[in-house]
Amino acid sequence: MLLIECPWCGPRAETEFSYGGEAGITRPRDPDALSDAEWADYLFCRSNPRGNHRELWNHAHGCRRWFGVERDTVTYRISRSFELYPAAVPETDAALQSGPDNSNGGD
Amino acid sequence: MSESTSRRHVETGVLENRGFLNLRLDPHKEKAVKAAEQILGQAVPLVSNTYGSGEHRVYWLGPDEWLIETDAGDVVALENELAMALAGSSAAINDVSGGYVALRIVGADARTVLAKGCTLDLHPPEFRPGRCARTRLARTTILLAADGEPDSYTIIAARSFTDYLRRWLAHAAEK
Amino acid sequence: MQAAQANRLREGGRIDRSRPLKFSLNGKAYTGFAGDTLASALIANGVGLVERSFKLRRPRGIFGSGAEEPNVIVQVGEGAEAQPGLPATRVELRDGLIAHTARGWPSVRFDIGAINDLFGRILGAGFYYKTFMYPRSWWKYYESAIRRSTGFGRAPAASDPDAYEHRNAHCDVLVAGGGPAGLMAALVAAKSGARVILADDGTEFGGSLLACGEDVAGAPAADWIAGIVAELGEQPDCVLLPRGAVLGYHDHDFLTIAERCDSGEPVERGLHPPVRERLWRIRAKRVILAQGGFERPLAFCNNDRPGVMLASAVSTYIHRYAVLPGRRAVVFTNNDSAYRTALDLAVAGAAVAAIVDSRPGGGGELAIRARDLGIPVLQGRVVCDVTGRHRVKGVSVAEWSGDSWENISKTAHFDCDLLAVSGGWSPAVHLHSQAGGQLDWSEAQLCFLPSRARQCHDSAGAGNGKQSLGDCLIDGLRAGTEAVAKLGLTPIAIEAPDAGSAREAPIEALWRVPAEKEADRCLKQFIDFQNDTTVADIRLAVREGYRNVEHVKRYTALGFGTDQGKLGNINGMAVLADVLGKTIPEVGTTTFRPVYTPVRFGTVAGESVGALYDPVRQTALHEWHEAVGAPMEVVGQWHRPWYFPRDGEDLHTAVARECLAVRNSVGAMDASTLGKIDARGPDVVKFLERIYTHNVGRMKVGRCAYGIMLGEDGMVMDDGVMARLGENHFYLTTTTGGAAGVLNWLESWLQTEWPELEVYLTSLTEHFSTIALAGPNSRNLLEKLGCDIPLDRESFPFLTVRAANLAGMPVQLFRVSFSGELAFEINIGSHLALQMWRKVMDAGREFDIIAYGTETMHVLRAEKGFIIVGQETDGSVTPVDLGMNWLLSKEKDFLGKRSLARPDCLREDRKQLVGLLSSDQRTVLPEGTQLIEQTACGVLETRPVPMCGHVTSSYFSPSLGHPIALALVAGGRARKGDNVFAALPGREPLPVEVVSPAFYDPKGERQNV
Ligand SMILES: [Zn+2]
Repeated sequence: MLLIECPWCGPRAETEFSYGGEAGITRPRDPDALSDAEWADYLFCRSNPRGNHRELWNHAHGCRRWFGVERDTVTYRISRSFELYPAAVPETDAALQSGPDNSNGGD
Repeated sequence: MSESTSRRHVETGVLENRGFLNLRLDPHKEKAVKAAEQILGQAVPLVSNTYGSGEHRVYWLGPDEWLIETDAGDVVALENELAMALAGSSAAINDVSGGYVALRIVGADARTVLAKGCTLDLHPPEFRPGRCARTRLARTTILLAADGEPDSYTIIAARSFTDYLRRWLAHAAEK
Repeated sequence: MQAAQANRLREGGRIDRSRPLKFSLNGKAYTGFAGDTLASALIANGVGLVERSFKLRRPRGIFGSGAEEPNVIVQVGEGAEAQPGLPATRVELRDGLIAHTARGWPSVRFDIGAINDLFGRILGAGFYYKTFMYPRSWWKYYESAIRRSTGFGRAPAASDPDAYEHRNAHCDVLVAGGGPAGLMAALVAAKSGARVILADDGTEFGGSLLACGEDVAGAPAADWIAGIVAELGEQPDCVLLPRGAVLGYHDHDFLTIAERCDSGEPVERGLHPPVRERLWRIRAKRVILAQGGFERPLAFCNNDRPGVMLASAVSTYIHRYAVLPGRRAVVFTNNDSAYRTALDLAVAGAAVAAIVDSRPGGGGELAIRARDLGIPVLQGRVVCDVTGRHRVKGVSVAEWSGDSWENISKTAHFDCDLLAVSGGWSPAVHLHSQAGGQLDWSEAQLCFLPSRARQCHDSAGAGNGKQSLGDCLIDGLRAGTEAVAKLGLTPIAIEAPDAGSAREAPIEALWRVPAEKEADRCLKQFIDFQNDTTVADIRLAVREGYRNVEHVKRYTALGFGTDQGKLGNINGMAVLADVLGKTIPEVGTTTFRPVYTPVRFGTVAGESVGALYDPVRQTALHEWHEAVGAPMEVVGQWHRPWYFPRDGEDLHTAVARECLAVRNSVGAMDASTLGKIDARGPDVVKFLERIYTHNVGRMKVGRCAYGIMLGEDGMVMDDGVMARLGENHFYLTTTTGGAAGVLNWLESWLQTEWPELEVYLTSLTEHFSTIALAGPNSRNLLEKLGCDIPLDRESFPFLTVRAANLAGMPVQLFRVSFSGELAFEINIGSHLALQMWRKVMDAGREFDIIAYGTETMHVLRAEKGFIIVGQETDGSVTPVDLGMNWLLSKEKDFLGKRSLARPDCLREDRKQLVGLLSSDQRTVLPEGTQLIEQTACGVLETRPVPMCGHVTSSYFSPSLGHPIALALVAGGRARKGDNVFAALPGREPLPVEVVSPAFYDPKGERQNV
């Protein structure tokens, strides 16, 4: 069972949280302007990296806040939790490495 | 408080005549916070997972959400006063008295009984008087608060789960 | 017949001779002492052969002394209390204990399955997969026969009467294992101010110290242990858990411990039985793994005969339990530790016929001591075979040069009744590996040692490869001190106590002793005793193409079963490496997974059984429903009244009465479980426009609307009535099941996507109760109750909401209808709800009011063709499929809108919501029934039969007098008037007519009066 650090409540057991998938998927401003393929990419395609993964968690049974977590999908180690807003999301080295240009596929 | 005793050194009971208001407010809006505090006659806690005691208890639920526990008879008046004071500052105040039941668990084994179903570290330095937390107890979500007196905790539970939670507590206290 | 406890030594041991205990195995009575395990008591009574092996039915005796015991797996207790799958070495003896072995029943001597041994050839590796697969149709017979004759016990038929519980705990330092290293680590951590939990699987702390004759700090080991345990007990934040098996090391330093709480004595169960086993769920900051090591057996022919035993187990039985497992022993080893066993045997009065040491150079200091006692020591020799079937009678010894696998020849024979073996030691790295830690192969010690940790753990003592007692104590102290320092505390200075250590000669590899008939495929050189995996099986697996250790494990069953390879894994890997021509580290280990030792289902379940299995959510009116005897329907965790029978009515009769009462007069329903959300803020309209498909902004204050929410994939996610209470104030309702999820989902959009919107959402699900009044007399009933607002059609039209005072109580009154009748919903604070409900029922007597349940609600809405999310929808249904185009705004974007224009959502042959009428006017189609096309002559020629849809809701309509059904049918809206066919089990397909889903009052006039 993971121990997840809520930015407001501190470390709490995984059972208090619900998972929200990959962080940083932004809803297109004008969906109608997108081709079917572009829309499908927004809807269905996720980076699924081996290693550092930025993801959303909701402290559903606590303060009800959504926040971001950087978690290694191999070791499950959580390197940090961060508020999504209002503070801007600082990019760490690890986060940069898992960017879309980096081929982090499985081995 | 209606009491039940058990094999362990612990007593549990329902706190009667409690009323609850849910307050949503942007804590950065100082004027609104001040206005609310003036009506409440006490501070709105801005530190995570703490509550303030005074005429009412004001529990921190989230960075812009509080639960005010007060006498059931005062809820309507307090809600109206707060609504007036906060008018125009886009706050939300809701009477949620029907939604919660407050329980108290007291005794030397209270912490042990809670630890059977709660993953919080309840060790006194970690969870001392003045602290509160929304968390899980058994299979429900509760608001747990460490009371001013040692070995005394308040559990605020969703009404529909109360029967289950009382059974669970009675069971846990028997072991 | 042997005398009682003939093998019990006259003195010594940690048993209480003043407390004799009676017990039985397979119906035969014995006695032992308090402090015994079942295994030690059996050995004391001279019981050699106690079980048959899993596959080959070979006679087996007790081989080990702890969790590694592979052979004697017993079922303890009878009836509901029976507990299967326990190694006899972990069963604490108690008075009246009844044990049965799993397979040697009724008699281990004449087990019929022993014929398997003679047919060992066909039961080689992979026999599960190969032998019984042909002819294929016979497998069902084979399977039941195999299943009957295997397994480690029989599951009790009745439910477990015992109580179990869970306990969450936090600590700074968790020490797993209370042997010399663990005790030292716990001591320094606790005295330095850390919160410590010390757990050990044994009944008392001490670990290997309990099984040796060595002194610590100049005193007997037992005295030293008692002193340390007392000191730990005085520390304020130190929890001691003897009988606590650390089961698993999970993510983020979360560990589970099963603590056996009862002593096994019979108890008065009564209403509140005491806890039998407790599952500790521990979050630790640092973990010290000090679980010691496991001695390895040696692989030679017939190495599984009863009377062959691990050398350390022999020493344990002598020192801890004061039993002598044999009178004339041979010790066979490739390292120094077994010399201690030879010395122990000699001191205890057994004759040691020989120490057979495979190392040409022999042993170190201990070897000299053995020679001094007159024990023959044979160097460069191996035991190559064992004689005796039900008990060791003697061993054959051969010369061994250490590098030749050929031409081994017997040189001597020794009579003996006990063969103590030692193939070296493997640290118990299970938890280290579960935690993700790495293992490094040590060529010097011939074992895997824990190396880099992935979580916050460290290993100490024998579990860290330390061999002498002195080194283990020092290593425990080091680990404890380092853990304390890593926590930021100041470690106190403690000195490790003096303990003896002998200069040892290094271990030499001996993974397998060559056999006389090397080519024999049936060589009985056992690697995994519990699974009857032999050297020959591993070779066979390789011959058949298996290379990866994980595959070989599964093919040969190596490391399966209750001991999970504690005994045989390393030897198996070494044999595999040899066959493959690789090194052991190249072959690697299999994955270690929780749990470390078998655990009871009751322990895993904890309190969550019976009435506490899952929370029951009750509405504020529950008391009333129960008092009138309404059967409950479980919806999520809610218990909702299903129907309200009168005078012994069944479901069908009661529902027919309830439906007609609503259609003709008035009925009341508890609709409190609906999700309710207060939404307000300056941007609430903007927000809800994006969430709902209809034009929210156009709603006037006081208006209600039926709204649906779509996922971004365009599929219907939830629905409900929503109302505009103020300019910037809305009240949303959700489905019962969707309440919590919808609120979190709405928050996710607000918090992660549109933080600029100032909107507050507050759940009012629990605060408000909802009483639905439906039927032509509902307005009259409200008037009779006393309402402070006008209720006529013009003042309070359909789909509006009013704050009102009803019967003296403040309410929100909604004029909405889920039945198609004139209807109102009363929202009232749950603390007042029961009072209101009683007033409603009293006032309603004049109109013959009835209470109706979920079933009638379903029938009424199905008659109208109203959907239920989760019944008509399943995550693959769009609003267009449901015929709800009228709800989709063309003027704005909303979640999921773009998806409705994806090609798949535009297909004309998508399944669409329709009504169905059974052609026979009688058959209520089972929900879920598949709908098929059928040719005119009734012969279906295509296989599989093409399916064109399925039934989503189906009832008998009391108002219409015939069955009705809702269904999703491919291209269904264009097929009205067509017949499709319902595939019914055991019947000819039934023709059903596709019709509009609105069966009753299709124009909706009744709700608008
Ligand atoms: Zn939180």
